Amino acid sequence: MSRTGSTPASATAADTGGLEAIFRPKSIAVLGVTNTPGTVPHDIFVNLLDSRFNGVVYPVAPRKRHIAGVRAYDYVLDIPDPVDLAILVFPGNVCEMALKQCVEKGVRGAIIISAGFREVGPEGLARERRVCAIAAEAGMRLIGPNCLGVINTQPDVRLNASFARAMPAPGRIAFLSQSGALCTAVLDYAAGKNIGFSKFVSLGNKADVDEVDLLRYLAEDPETSVILMYLESISRGRALMQAAREITARGAGARPILAIKSGRTAAGAAAARSHTGALASSAEVVDGVFEQSGIIRCRSIEEMFNTAQLLACQPLPKDDRIAIVTNAGGPGVMATDAAVANGLRLAAFSPETTARLKKALPAAANLKNPVDVIGDAREDRYAAAVDAVFADENVDQVLVILTPQSMTDITAIARTICEIHDRYRDSGKALVCSFMGAKDVAPGIEILQRHGIPHYILPEWAADAMAHTVRYRRWMNREVSGFRTFEVDRARAERVIKAAPEGYLLETQALEVLEAYGFPVVPWSLAGTADEAVAAAERIGYPVVLRAVSRAVVHKFEMKAVVLNLPDAGAVRDAFGAMRDRLLGTIRPDDLAGILVRRMIPAGKEVILGINCDPVFGHIIMFGLGGIYVEALKDVTFRVVPIRESAAGKMVRELRTLSLLQGVRGEPPSDIPAIEEALLRLSQLAGDFPRIAELDINPLIVHPAGEGAHVADIRIRLAPPE
Amino acid sequence: MADPQVLQRVVKVIGRVLGLDPAEIKPTDHFIFDLGAESSQSVELVMGFEAEFGIEMDQEKALAVQSVEAAADFIAGYLKGK
Repeated sequence: MSRTGSTPASATAADTGGLEAIFRPKSIAVLGVTNTPGTVPHDIFVNLLDSRFNGVVYPVAPRKRHIAGVRAYDYVLDIPDPVDLAILVFPGNVCEMALKQCVEKGVRGAIIISAGFREVGPEGLARERRVCAIAAEAGMRLIGPNCLGVINTQPDVRLNASFARAMPAPGRIAFLSQSGALCTAVLDYAAGKNIGFSKFVSLGNKADVDEVDLLRYLAEDPETSVILMYLESISRGRALMQAAREITARGAGARPILAIKSGRTAAGAAAARSHTGALASSAEVVDGVFEQSGIIRCRSIEEMFNTAQLLACQPLPKDDRIAIVTNAGGPGVMATDAAVANGLRLAAFSPETTARLKKALPAAANLKNPVDVIGDAREDRYAAAVDAVFADENVDQVLVILTPQSMTDITAIARTICEIHDRYRDSGKALVCSFMGAKDVAPGIEILQRHGIPHYILPEWAADAMAHTVRYRRWMNREVSGFRTFEVDRARAERVIKAAPEGYLLETQALEVLEAYGFPVVPWSLAGTADEAVAAAERIGYPVVLRAVSRAVVHKFEMKAVVLNLPDAGAVRDAFGAMRDRLLGTIRPDDLAGILVRRMIPAGKEVILGINCDPVFGHIIMFGLGGIYVEALKDVTFRVVPIRESAAGKMVRELRTLSLLQGVRGEPPSDIPAIEEALLRLSQLAGDFPRIAELDINPLIVHPAGEGAHVADIRIRLAPPE
Repeated sequence: MADPQVLQRVVKVIGRVLGLDPAEIKPTDHFIFDLGAESSQSVELVMGFEAEFGIEMDQEKALAVQSVEAAADFIAGYLKGK
């Protein structure tokens, strides 16, 4: 048995993150191969042979002479030539030994297909950490364990290092998945739709290589135009955001990223005690994170591939104006509804276009958008209409709808559309089709797909995909605003926070922190006696509010620890006595720090602002419709701290009930700039004090435009001091 | 150190189940990593040992045994209790 190490075949200085050995190896050893067809250790080796891999493959199968006609080796160290990539299919508990030999051999990349690691419990987790340490120490990159494998369709590589049933066709789409089983389903789905892939990666347990590494690698891959991800967990939140921001918006070299993120941490949300914490389930936070990073979030595989096809095959539209050409009124209306609902606009045609359509189409045709060429249309009518709208400078994308009627020559129309598509290839306009049906339209769909024209069975799906591409274009073209920093009294806030133990600040302490950071807080004073309360009210000005200050009072309204709108000294004195007597019936005197006297805030729109600490992304900031119905309505939006000025504005505009702030039925619009400023101040506060675990300003009462806003209630919970 | 007699009989069973020449099986050999046993053969090995030695072993513990020498020691433990 040879124990001599060897020099890797293709080590290059330009290697991206050390992943070239995995995606473009010259030689591969498969460790643990068997001669039993229908098992992973056998099929993965046969897949490598069947894919006509452009390199050498060595089976490592102890005490076996050959596998599938290829001479086998007992150990990787016995292989006489250098090995770039090792694929481990040994049982999990043998991988450690096998990997050590790979290190000795000088192997630079590994894929561990085997299960039996963190997914099986603490023993497996310990094993995974040992395996990872072995690879890390040797500078070897590792995909898996517990994964389906890796595919690279690039013609000069042709690597199917997976146990998928078949090698997909080459294409411009890269797909990463944390679910191996989903990988096989996606491959089959894509094959059925003539969708090809550049790279296909099953991430498995992500012990070493994760989605961030792969995004950075694929961003430099000339074969890849679009990156798709299916994630169940996110390993490195901030790194993912940084990578995605760079990759999705770097001009000509940008790659759109589409992702499905499954799984919610309902338990985590349920455990939170603040409104912000309760609302910050991973799904909502991820929405904000993806929005902040330029990642297009998809809810289904269908939606993801619908959009990916368009991004991979067609130019990015300049704007949101679409033209629809249809031979049926109903689907035209459906497409219009879906387009408008997705934020697209129907293009208003130029007089020249209308004249061209009028000349080419029968009198019964609809010349306006959506253009109805009428049910009996043949390829000539489609040609005239599609050509006319394509040529119109008011059109950015074209959707062609066909329903199969007795006189419809489906394949001729498909070919005509392909010709027009070629004619306008350099126009920068996207073309998509919806040949509605299944059996009769299939030959036409095949022609379109082979020609790189995305096809959707339903026009609504087309509109959805077109809207995603418009949003992506806007993301790429957006103006990146700066981070606004306010002059604040950080020392004052620090004194309060530094002196406080873990848990909730008293309301008076929380108000001090907000005051120090310039939040709009009305005058207040803490009173220990009725006389002090009256004196404070005289100073502050009527009407006033009384609020008990106590850590033992969590829900003030339920415990009647708040009295509003007290107009004079007599009312203050009476309310103070009644509140104190009531509370001292349920809490200990030591637990009552005093009663807060505060100026009554005039009525306004109630919104909520909050901070929470997400385990993956760190501090997140929330904005939404506030008040007591906040958790019922869940009209909230999230961003990771710090936020830019533009993000504050976007958070407000994302509210479903934005119109309430804009003013309805004669109401004046609310002071939205005041909300945006409060969000930016909150972002600064969270950035300055990592100990703030949870913060709720609920409500912030927003007054009409120009009149500002006021904090009506505040809760801050601190993490333990470091 | 494994009992030489038990070890010899263990090697014989392994050779039969895995189709290997007993002379090429070393006490330190790992069933999978060195001898190329497949997962289905692990169960066959346990059954072979039970038949050879007339014992009934704890399946879970027996399947966790990974080398020739360790198998001989594991079986010797059962034989002592007989």
